[in-house]
Amino acid sequence: MADLELLDRGYSAIMAEVVDRGRAPHFTELAADLGIGLEEGRQLIHDLVAMTPGWVHPGTDYVASFPPFNLQPTHYSVTIDGQPGWYAQCGLEATAIRWLVPGKTARIEAPCLCCGEPMVLEMCDEEILAVDPEPMVGYTSAEIGGSADSRPFR
Amino acid sequence: MNLFRSEEHAKRWNGYDPAMADALKPVAEWADIFSNPFFRQRGRADYISWTRSDDGAATFTLLRSQLPRPIEATR
Repeated sequence: MADLELLDRGYSAIMAEVVDRGRAPHFTELAADLGIGLEEGRQLIHDLVAMTPGWVHPGTDYVASFPPFNLQPTHYSVTIDGQPGWYAQCGLEATAIRWLVPGKTARIEAPCLCCGEPMVLEMCDEEILAVDPEPMVGYTSAEIGGSADSRPFR
Repeated sequence: MNLFRSEEHAKRWNGYDPAMADALKPVAEWADIFSNPFFRQRGRADYISWTRSDDGAATFTLLRSQLPRPIEATR
């Protein structure tokens, strides 16, 4: 496990790339950015996704999820100040994206898993700007922070 | 961890579990839970260190107390 200072730098670097570009750096890019060895960078990716909690695509070193965002597309499409290119890890984490884009409007569009009809949620800082339809609810069938293999689906 | 058009839609979802009925909340209530500093502070340069600080630990304890748990786990 990397030391705290490196974990901080790694987390910050990955999050900055995800917020700016909707992608996570490959471990070779992360290593170059932080001035560390390739294997140290690769291990840092795995350490950080385990504690955030996100995940890599199974059997790879590719970051698939880094909450509140998902790098692998989900049905929670996100636009920030009208610019598309992001996805939320889940419907509940979608409500936390606004904290990473202060002063900007985060718009989440998703189909309802029951009927497929569209939903829209817009938030900016402390304000909920739009909820359509108005009775929109959130639900999880498992404890938040539960087993890793159920995280995308609960 | 999904959004639905209404409570009725969530209950009709094939993944709905009555044991987690407490986890069915208006999206505004979930947005409030996800306003906890544990989520707000993700942009800080020392986020991982902060989560391990006394302040971060207290925040996480508060967050855990706000999260719904399965009915059998609360008995």
